[in-house]
This record gives sequence, C-alpha cells and structure tokens, in this order.
Amino acid sequence: MDIRKILSEATSTLGVSGQEAGVAAYFAEQFRLLVDEVRVDAMYNVIAHKKGSGNGPKIMLCAHLDEIALMVMRIEDDGSVRFGSVGGVDPRILPGSRVWVHGTKGKLFGTIGALPPHLMSEEDRNNNYKMDKLHVDLGMCAGKVREQVRVGDLITFNTPFTELAGNQVAAKSLDDRACVAIMLRAAERLQRMACDAEVYFVCSAQEEVGGRGAMTAAFGVDPDLAVVLDVDFALTPGCGPDVAAPLDAMVVTHGPFVQPKLNKRLIDCAHAHHVKLSENVAGRSTGTDADEIGVNRGGVPTVLLSLPEKYMHTSVETISLDTLEEGARLLSHFVSELDAGWEDDLWI
Amino acid sequence: MDLKTLTEINAPSGHEQPIRRALLAELKEKGFNPTIDRMGNVIVVKEGTGDAPRKRVLVSAHMDEVGLIVTGHTDGGFLKVTQAGGIDPRVLISKRVLVGDDGIPGVIGAVAIHLQSAADRQRVMGYRDICVDIGATDKKEAERKAPKGTYISFDTPYVEYGEGYACGKAFDDRVGCWTILRLLQEELPVDLVAAFVSEEEVGCRGAKGAAFAQEPDIGIVLEGTTCNDLGDIPQTAQVCQTGKGVAVSFMDNASIANRSLFRKALEIGEKEGIACQVKSSVSGGNDGGVIQRAREGIPTLVLSVPCRYIHSPSTVIKLSDAESQFELTKALLKAL
Repeated sequence: MDIRKILSEATSTLGVSGQEAGVAAYFAEQFRLLVDEVRVDAMYNVIAHKKGSGNGPKIMLCAHLDEIALMVMRIEDDGSVRFGSVGGVDPRILPGSRVWVHGTKGKLFGTIGALPPHLMSEEDRNNNYKMDKLHVDLGMCAGKVREQVRVGDLITFNTPFTELAGNQVAAKSLDDRACVAIMLRAAERLQRMACDAEVYFVCSAQEEVGGRGAMTAAFGVDPDLAVVLDVDFALTPGCGPDVAAPLDAMVVTHGPFVQPKLNKRLIDCAHAHHVKLSENVAGRSTGTDADEIGVNRGGVPTVLLSLPEKYMHTSVETISLDTLEEGARLLSHFVSELDAGWEDDLWI
Repeated sequence: MDLKTLTEINAPSGHEQPIRRALLAELKEKGFNPTIDRMGNVIVVKEGTGDAPRKRVLVSAHMDEVGLIVTGHTDGGFLKVTQAGGIDPRVLISKRVLVGDDGIPGVIGAVAIHLQSAADRQRVMGYRDICVDIGATDKKEAERKAPKGTYISFDTPYVEYGEGYACGKAFDDRVGCWTILRLLQEELPVDLVAAFVSEEEVGCRGAKGAAFAQEPDIGIVLEGTTCNDLGDIPQTAQVCQTGKGVAVSFMDNASIANRSLFRKALEIGEKEGIACQVKSSVSGGNDGGVIQRAREGIPTLVLSVPCRYIHSPSTVIKLSDAESQFELTKALLKAL
C-alpha cells in the first residue's frame, strides 16, 4: 500500500461535509481490497467490515472523511463570487489562495482576491480580511459565471499535495483523511495478524459540523467498543506545549469522554510494542466523533487516538508519515489483542 | 521564451541570477550579444533601420520579483523570514513556497482557528510571527538546508483560466520582460536599448545605473501595475481595468510622464486601434522615476499591464493587455 499515493489522491478528492459522495466512493474502493464487506450508508459514511473469529467483541474504528470548504453565496454583477464557509475555515488563509469552484459543467479555476492594502484605511490594514470582503475571481464576466455557477456550489482549495523534509507531507484535508489512511494501513496489517474481533472501519461523514455521521454509523454498527482517530494540534511557533503535542508521536486523551480502563489498555499496548505516545487532557468534550459514539444506544466505551497535525484547518495541514505508520502499528496491535474477556474489569 | 517560463523562474530582488541566466541564454540563442553591467542589468543594443542620426530609446522592464529572505531559525527548525520587496504578510498564510535555488518545498502555516482568541482573529500576523516550515526537525537541520540570506519564492505555477486570463506570480514584471523579448524580434527605425533591470522592487536600483550608462534620448518603462477592478472597490479607486488594454500613466509617485510622449502614445493607440487606457490615479512608483532623472534628464513614459492582486502569490492579468503593451510599444517606437 502506497500511503503517499493514497493521501495525495484522497486529499484531492471532493468530499465536503454533507456532500461526501466522491471521497466516500474513493475510500470504499480502497477498503474493498482489505475487508470482507463495504457499504456506504445514507449519510455517506463508509462502513468496512472485517469478520472476526466469533470469540471477540465488535469494535468500531472511526476517522472522518469530510472536509471543510467554502460555498458560493452570491454572484456579483462584475463576475466576482462571494462565499461563506462550510465548517471552520480560517479567513486568514484566504487572500491569494487558489481554489476550485465546483460548478455545473465541472470545476473552474479561481483565485481569491481582496482590496489591496494601499486602498485601505490604516485601521483596516491592521486587521485581518473578513470573509465577506473577499471574492473569488474566475476571470469571467457575470453572464458567463452565472451560466455555470449557482448559489450553494462548493469551493475547495487547490493546493497540491506537498512533500517536505523529514517524511512530512502537507495538503488540505489531511484532517482527517490521514487518519483514514491509518485505518487502511491497520486493515492491511490485520490481514496478517490473529484477530478475534469483528472490526468495523468507519469513515464518518459530517464531523466538521458536529459528529453527525458518526452518530448514525454507530447506531448502524452497534459496536461494543470504539477507537476514534482524529488529528490533534502539533507544536509550531505560537502553538506551544500547553495546547499542542510533538509531531513525532501519537496522542492519547484523558478525560470524562474517554473510557479510562480502555484508555489504559491502549497505553499499555503502546508500551508493549514500543510505540511512543504523548498525552493530552480534555476536561469536557473532545471535539471529535468520540463525543457522539460514546453515548450511542446504551453507551459505547470509547477511546481517542490522535495524529498530531501542524496548521489545522488550513490548506497546508502538515503531518509526519512516520507518526502515521506508528499509529497504524499501535491500532492493529490493539485490535488484534482484543478477546472475549476485554470487558471483564472495565468498570471496577 | 514564453510568459509561463518567465514567471515560473524564481528570482527575488537581489537574487536575479536565475532569471539573468535564462535571459542571457535566450538572447544568445536568438543571435544577440547581451552584456551585463555592474548593477547586474542585462542589456542588448539593437541598431535601428532608420537613417542616422537615429533616436536611442531605452526600453526597460525589471527582472526581479518580490519574495522572502531567511533571517533566522527557531529551535524547532522553522525559518524566520522577512520580505525582499513589498509583500503584505496577510497573503502569506497557508501558502506554499520554494526555498533556495534547489527549490526545497515549504509551507507557511498559522495557529489553528480552534486555538485563536477573538483578538487573535483580528490581529495581522506580521513578519515577526510568520515562519516557513520545510519539515526540518531542529535548528541545525534548518540552518544547514536554508542558511540566513536564502531567498524564498511563491510556489504558484502559471495557469490560464476564465476568458483569456492568466494567474501566477511575478507578472510584475516578467510580462514587461516578455514584451521586450518580442520587441527585439521586430524591425524598428530607432536604436533599441533593451534593458532587463535588477532590484526594482527594493527601490529601482538597477534602472538607475542602466539609464546613466546607456545615455538614451528617450526612456520607455514596461511594467505591471496594480489594478482593482473586482469586488468592493469604488469606481474612483479602480486605477485601471483588465481587458481595457495597456495602461498609460500621466503621473505616478515616482515620475510625471513626458507630456508629448503621453499624448503620442494615446494618439497612436486610437489611430491604430490598439487597446489602451489612462491609468487614472497617482499611485505606485517604478523605474520611470530614476530613468527620467538620470544625467541631465530623459523624457520618459510608463506603459503597464494591469495586474490584479499584485505582489501576491496569485497575480492575475488578462493576456490581451500584454498583447496591447507589445503592440502599442512597437507602434510608438516606429513613430518616434
């Protein structure tokens, strides 16, 4: 499995929250090679099932496949396109960015323009651009734009997959498709490992607007336990150890939304296999699919395993492929070692 | 050499070698005898076909572009940078760059939106905050790969899109360089001093030396100029518009056009049906200023291609305006 190729293809495939059909089809195709059955449900969750021995629990692994983006709000008479955001797009990343506008006749190249500094007041120059003051420039007059672009059409970032030094890669929507890649690699590893558990690999939809896909996927799968995989903040200038973790180790989270004994089992597993871990604390919700999955049906013991990512919610999100591989190694061992007794001392 | 190739060469002010080498190779291949002066300007003198005494006309375009330069390294292996030429730091966030002559890929990130306070969202990230990330894991690795003084360029390939538009970096002023390369292919009555000048973006330093050394009778500066014809812009602030042809300046912050050259350019445009427009504001400045005030003074005119989002990673021009710059300059040189 070529992880770089998968990340490059996955991050350039359209799959904005609520409209994930494209990226769902892509990941379904990838999982089909590795598991017994794959389905895409009504919410565009991809649910890939690997059968177990019959003596293990049913575990749901979950990473979201949707991405944040922009959406056409208005087409001005000069042909410029006004937009809003789907999910939490940072307006600071927009001026000068290249985008794709997904119109009715295919995608159109565009660039995001703004009022230049020399036409601004001193006060405006010292503030960031607001989203409603920016526009997409399609290089066309309003008539031509209106022929192929409608209000509600999606706009995504046109940022090529970029390989940096130190086995790091940068792209848009590595949040959270890098974690889907962890699941793919774990599925590949599990083909060669003993595994009693029934494993459901879920690529969930609509996480960026509040764990909505994970909610219905968890109902459908009805798991005994779950591991959620998402990105966490990595250390960068301005983003210190109080809120962020080193790029080179997966992160476990402590707190009320994570089942403590199961979390200990995950940490022990990491130690046993010499996988380096960092620790994070979430005093309340984790802000991931774990929040929804944990209270599915009658309750699902859930843990969160995170991949550190620099520059989250930008078009240059950056991760370490070495850390990704370690995440897959840990995940596969954790799943492989689950047996019928997994729940014996969970609550005492 | 086409416009795509010209704009994709990375050569910020003070580090013009890559574009200088490319221009030299191109000019030699076309049979010219280019020289390099002591400001690093590339000069070609092409004799005119008219009867002596012929006018000696300096046609200049700057070959440098705005970029970044490495000023230091953090313990975590990030590059600290400042601007080489004017770049509003607000256009840098979430962009890809190429570091040094080996083109090491880098990205410019920012603290995630989830972690920003209301004040953070307002506050502009300046050069004090901005870092380039090449994936180096410590200071040593960063210093080795991108020592202090390493130049950095936007990594934005040239793209043609929409109704005859192109988007890329460095149209300011590779579009002028492209026009000069094309003018050199023409039969002209005047002696043409074609000058690809250095360091315009850091204060018009190259053109000053070129104008002194070449002693022209007339100076014509081919530029890219700011254009704001889309979005929230009052009509009075639009300066010029894409698609309306080459912009003829009556005055900018560096020079007042020679009035007879200015009138002549507009007359020729009208007579020959070449699209042109008057740049309708006094803004910006360029090599026109230093050329006009070289030696005892030189009548000077600036002809510019309108550029949306100038000095950003994604500048936009309409290709027909570059064509107008070529046609009008050619016609003007024939009429002098």
